[in-house]
Amino acid sequence: MSAERPVRAPGRWAVLAALALLAVVMLSPFLIVTLNAFKSPAEYSSGGPLSLPKGLYLDGIIDFWNRVDFGEKLWNSLLISGAVAIGAVVLSVLNAYALGIGRVRGRLWILVLFLVANTLPQESLVYPLYYLSKQVGLYDSKLAVILIFTVIQAAFGTYLLSSVLGQFPREILEAASIDGAGKWRALSRIVVPISRPTLSVLLIFFFIWTWNEFFLPLIFLISNDNQTVPVALGVLQGEKMMDATMSSASALLGIVPAVAFFLIFQRTLTRGVTVGAIK
Amino acid sequence: MLKIGRTAAAAVLAASALVLAACGGSGDPGGGSSSGPRTLTLWHYEGADSAMGKAWAQAIKEFETSHPGVTVKFEEKGFEQIQKTAGMVLNSDEAPDVMEYNKGNATAGLLSKQGLLTDLSDEAAKRGWDKLLSPSLQTTARYDDRGIMGSGKWFGIPNYAEYVMVYYNKDAFKKQGIEVPTTFDEFTTALDKFAKAGITPIATGGAEYPAQQIMYLLALSKANRAWVDGFQQYKGKVDFHGPEFTYGAQTFADWVKKGYISKDSAGIKAEDMGVSFIGGKFPIMISGSWWYGRFQEQIKDFDWGSFLWPGGTMAPGSSGNLWVVPEKAKNKDLAYDFIDITMKKDIQNLLGNSGGLPVAADPGAITDPKSKELVENFNKLSAQDGLAFYPDWPAPGYYDVLVAGVQELINGSKTPEQVLDEIAGPYDDNLADIGN
Repeated sequence: MSAERPVRAPGRWAVLAALALLAVVMLSPFLIVTLNAFKSPAEYSSGGPLSLPKGLYLDGIIDFWNRVDFGEKLWNSLLISGAVAIGAVVLSVLNAYALGIGRVRGRLWILVLFLVANTLPQESLVYPLYYLSKQVGLYDSKLAVILIFTVIQAAFGTYLLSSVLGQFPREILEAASIDGAGKWRALSRIVVPISRPTLSVLLIFFFIWTWNEFFLPLIFLISNDNQTVPVALGVLQGEKMMDATMSSASALLGIVPAVAFFLIFQRTLTRGVTVGAIK
Repeated sequence: MLKIGRTAAAAVLAASALVLAACGGSGDPGGGSSSGPRTLTLWHYEGADSAMGKAWAQAIKEFETSHPGVTVKFEEKGFEQIQKTAGMVLNSDEAPDVMEYNKGNATAGLLSKQGLLTDLSDEAAKRGWDKLLSPSLQTTARYDDRGIMGSGKWFGIPNYAEYVMVYYNKDAFKKQGIEVPTTFDEFTTALDKFAKAGITPIATGGAEYPAQQIMYLLALSKANRAWVDGFQQYKGKVDFHGPEFTYGAQTFADWVKKGYISKDSAGIKAEDMGVSFIGGKFPIMISGSWWYGRFQEQIKDFDWGSFLWPGGTMAPGSSGNLWVVPEKAKNKDLAYDFIDITMKKDIQNLLGNSGGLPVAADPGAITDPKSKELVENFNKLSAQDGLAFYPDWPAPGYYDVLVAGVQELINGSKTPEQVLDEIAGPYDDNLADIGN
């Protein structure tokens, strides 16, 4: 092992350098956003986007927070993303249990159907969903967005979980059924606990994906008091004008919750991935 | 066992749906009927610090004073959201009572054709809005059955106006010993002097609207009102190889060659153009009155001013966006009252004194000297019937066609003749589509 090291070293340095470069490329937009979020509009106009701020100018962030009532938007996003994440995981587990373990007849075609549903662009769904939600009186309500995204995310979740559960060790299930466990007991006591790491990864992904959704919430959340964070950020896009410093401030406010969420659940994510690998 | 489990699960799902429904149902569309307290729902997308934002905030206050028992539910919207969703919102029960919307055939015209906007003709006559607005401002307020502006019923009321002018850096002019040009020859002499001194005179952006407006301005200097009506309202055939566009494209290309316009400006966006002018990097910027308020606030390092385009009597310009009343609005009478308040002298004067361009202000009441210059120049342009609208209006998607064409002129990758062929195609296709 130690003899191999010097041979590999140049390659490793190259990889490290490439990764460092990639990190700089990835981080530079965030850096520029942060830089401009703390600048006054006059400073931005006279110095351009790359100049360093002279002092900490917090008015942009405070003004934006008050202007769109950002706390309310955070709560809306949290409610919608949380409900979707939980609902979609529950739905995915139930579907996948039937498809992956229950071996329903025609499961391959059902899975293909889910896959096709996944590839549908959201733009093509807009008008049907708009008319449906108007018919049932859910247009401009959070519930409409929650239902839509629960189904959309569950389509992906079902597809993924079905193949995971398809590999589920049969012996455990057989042992359970010999011990007298019914289908529900097997699901709740055996399948769910064992695949918990995978489920928590799904939960986190569904949460973040839903959090970042822009297009459908833009269409369905009409009233300002129903809007989510990404939709609220759009308020600053004027017809001919853009307020670069306030846009940066709002972008910063928009990124922070997602980053915080990621940091909190980062351990769950890595654990989920590694548990899946060991099995 | 299985059966019980299923029912239980169904019960849980139903219960959670109820909980969710409770959170979802909080958005109250506002008091609809005349009984009890009423609500006027109002949407616009102007920033709170802009001239319109300030004036309309004052209008809301006055409305609430003159209408006790009515609350105004104002929601600030994003431009993009209104653009993408207006058709759907206005076709639902969530439609606001009054909202700001873009003027033009592809926006207000389209919605009027679809029957989503209330016909305001009677109100305009009754309340005298038709007297307050000059004929060229009325163009964008009225739409015919095909949704084409210029004639027919009133579907919107503009509250402000806009036009394209020449902004200049007084300090930079003084340094080169250049006087404010009053004729086109003096203007090109000034440009030449800057170019000879190694300064690119005109700040522009080829990636967005500014550069195409300069080309249109140049074309307008050889045009008359009949040509503009032909181009914008399809009254008569427009020859893209006629003297107007040929001069516009040719002169624009020459200006790039002579260094009046930077060869690097093809990729510049409007925002960057504005920032570079505020930063003092260019002595001249040719663009719209929408920059005015921002320049008043942010230009601190030099003295600046504006003058009307010296090359002719016409310039791009029009009414601003419109107040529209959705067909499904529940409080139309309140909406009319609100529009009426925004047309009153004091609101219009406030708009003017905040760096906006009012349509019905009292010229004597505009006290800020910079704002006075803006309003006086506009009145002059309006009096000589000089509002020529914008080059991208006549056809859907024409904006991108013009951006591409002008970029090719800046890059020199195509000759003016080729560019004119390129921009003629989509225009003629659209004419065929609407049956002209």
